[in-house]
Amino acid sequence: MRLYEYQAKSLFKEYGLSVPKSILVHDLEGVRGAFASLAPPVAVKSQVLAGGRGKAGGIALVDDPSKAEHEAARIFALPIGGEKPASLLLEEGYPHEREMYLSVTLDRGERSYVAIAAAAGGVEVESMRGKVIRKVPVEGIDAGFAAEVASELKLPPGESSQFVKVLLSLERLAREKECELAEINPLAVGKDGTLMPLDAKVIVDDNALFRHPEFAKLHPEDEFEGEASRQGFAFVRLDGGIAVVGNGAGLVLSTLDLVGDAGGEPACFLDLGGGAQQDRVEAAIRLVNRLPGADRILVNIYGGITRSTDVAAGIRAVISGGGLKPLYARVSGAEEEEARRMLEGTAVKMYKTAPEAVAAVVKGA
Amino acid sequence: MMLPRGRDPVIVQNMTGRYGRLHTKLMLDYGTNVAAGAAPGKGGESVEGVPVYDTVAEAVAKTKARASVCFVPAEFTLAAGVEALEAGIELLVIITEHVPIRDELKLVQLAQSKGATIIGPNCPGIIVPSEKVKLGIMPAPSFSPGNVALYSRSGTLTYEIAGELTANGHGQSVAVGIGGDPINGSTPIQWMDFVQGMEETEAVVVVGEIGGDAEERLARHIEKSGYRKPIVGYIAGRHAPKEKKMGHAGAIIYGDYGTADSKIRALTAAGVKVAKTPMDVPRLVSEALG
Repeated sequence: MRLYEYQAKSLFKEYGLSVPKSILVHDLEGVRGAFASLAPPVAVKSQVLAGGRGKAGGIALVDDPSKAEHEAARIFALPIGGEKPASLLLEEGYPHEREMYLSVTLDRGERSYVAIAAAAGGVEVESMRGKVIRKVPVEGIDAGFAAEVASELKLPPGESSQFVKVLLSLERLAREKECELAEINPLAVGKDGTLMPLDAKVIVDDNALFRHPEFAKLHPEDEFEGEASRQGFAFVRLDGGIAVVGNGAGLVLSTLDLVGDAGGEPACFLDLGGGAQQDRVEAAIRLVNRLPGADRILVNIYGGITRSTDVAAGIRAVISGGGLKPLYARVSGAEEEEARRMLEGTAVKMYKTAPEAVAAVVKGA
Repeated sequence: MMLPRGRDPVIVQNMTGRYGRLHTKLMLDYGTNVAAGAAPGKGGESVEGVPVYDTVAEAVAKTKARASVCFVPAEFTLAAGVEALEAGIELLVIITEHVPIRDELKLVQLAQSKGATIIGPNCPGIIVPSEKVKLGIMPAPSFSPGNVALYSRSGTLTYEIAGELTANGHGQSVAVGIGGDPINGSTPIQWMDFVQGMEETEAVVVVGEIGGDAEERLARHIEKSGYRKPIVGYIAGRHAPKEKKMGHAGAIIYGDYGTADSKIRALTAAGVKVAKTPMDVPRLVSEALG
């Protein structure tokens, strides 16, 4: 789960990291008052989860209240990666000389957490020069570890002691809150040499949320994503018209590829999980049938240990409720022929292979 | 690394749960020698005639099992994995989905220190058709004995591809689901090296998906090590959006990191024949085997 900047920054404060003074506003009415209680210049920052916020025009630096309102209005209306902000963060600007980079993140290939630091940050990590990467033990780091990173970065003594504190706090945050990523980019170096995190990116391990009830209430839920997750489905909303349902993440991903290659556009990704019991199939189809924007449904199920007849029974249960959108299905597995017979005479079209079902749903035939 | 062999005794952790019961039966039906179960507080019960003990240590003492299949829920998987490894289990197959990353890292470290192998978590397990043995949840009819080693980050997609291979006369020497999480107990490179030494394996099929850089690392390893057996690949998720977890915790693209294109390019450059669809895999295997 990715946190909004303002959430990540409140976590930073909890861990003793100083951040610029800021106020969160939920509507235009709040902008003037917030601006008045901050020292200009003030950064107006879109609170969206998508990356590339600055480049997309989601951040503006303003020095008077009417400009603040004008920019806030513009940014509230600006979708970034398809997402419009529900709130803006107004934050005091921090005049600085230099920008550094610091993160604690999972290195999947090395199967370890790593600390990544660079004396010159502000750009993308991949292209950062002179960056230092060190494996972080699962039980945590000490001041000696942090001091070594600082010395590798060749920081002057004043910066070095601050850097050690920042890295220790960030690592403790990442470890205790079970983050996949805790990132400060940029970590600004002020004119007096003070280090100040200007942006904060935190991604919490979804699978560890059961140990962190404090995160449970942070996100407003999309109606469909909320319901899907309550039912135990993996669900991602997409922009097209074909709702794609299947069992198993890899299988549904490969079905999206088949649809895309055939020129179709998926409305969603829904993974039932490995099994495909009747009630699960029924619940999944009912859910995507209500999805606005979806005008057709594609079901791709590899039966495995589930009988095809169970899947067919699930589909029949939805049909009997009425209002089912055109449904194209490929259901393989035991009792395949019997399943086909169960759906004969209904509006559901059955296919023997995934490519056949995909070709048909894309054509709308 | 070790492969399960025909009559090797195997234990099942959380055998008395819904999935533990179901798959104990299906593994027995296939031919796996499920010799004991472990479930705290359930000692003295039995499932399909197989005795259940309170602890892994007891089950191991009674059966001499070196392998375990773990169906323990995610909240308790770390504890169950530690229990198994401490009891001397050398091959631990963790089927459980949604295990926290830090718990996985701790298990990987413990397994490394003990010289044990973990498969998973969040995986279908391992099957050796010629030995009639499976440690996991894969449907037996999709698989057949043969000379193609198959390993994959997904479940049903593996069954689909195994089914296609089987239908086209390409049986499998071994099939492994390494897991769909960001951290895998055993890595693609480890399996690749392992099957290189397997005499009965003449070609390898690698099924990957978006997220991470396991396939890119594998490609570098193939080039550097001068891998000798022909390899066919398939990568799912060419049309997946960025920054979204696509079902598996590990299937997510950040920026340009973890895209299908990057993986396909890296594997292709290393000489791997990458199939565009799962249905295309058997044809490429036929060509590779000449």
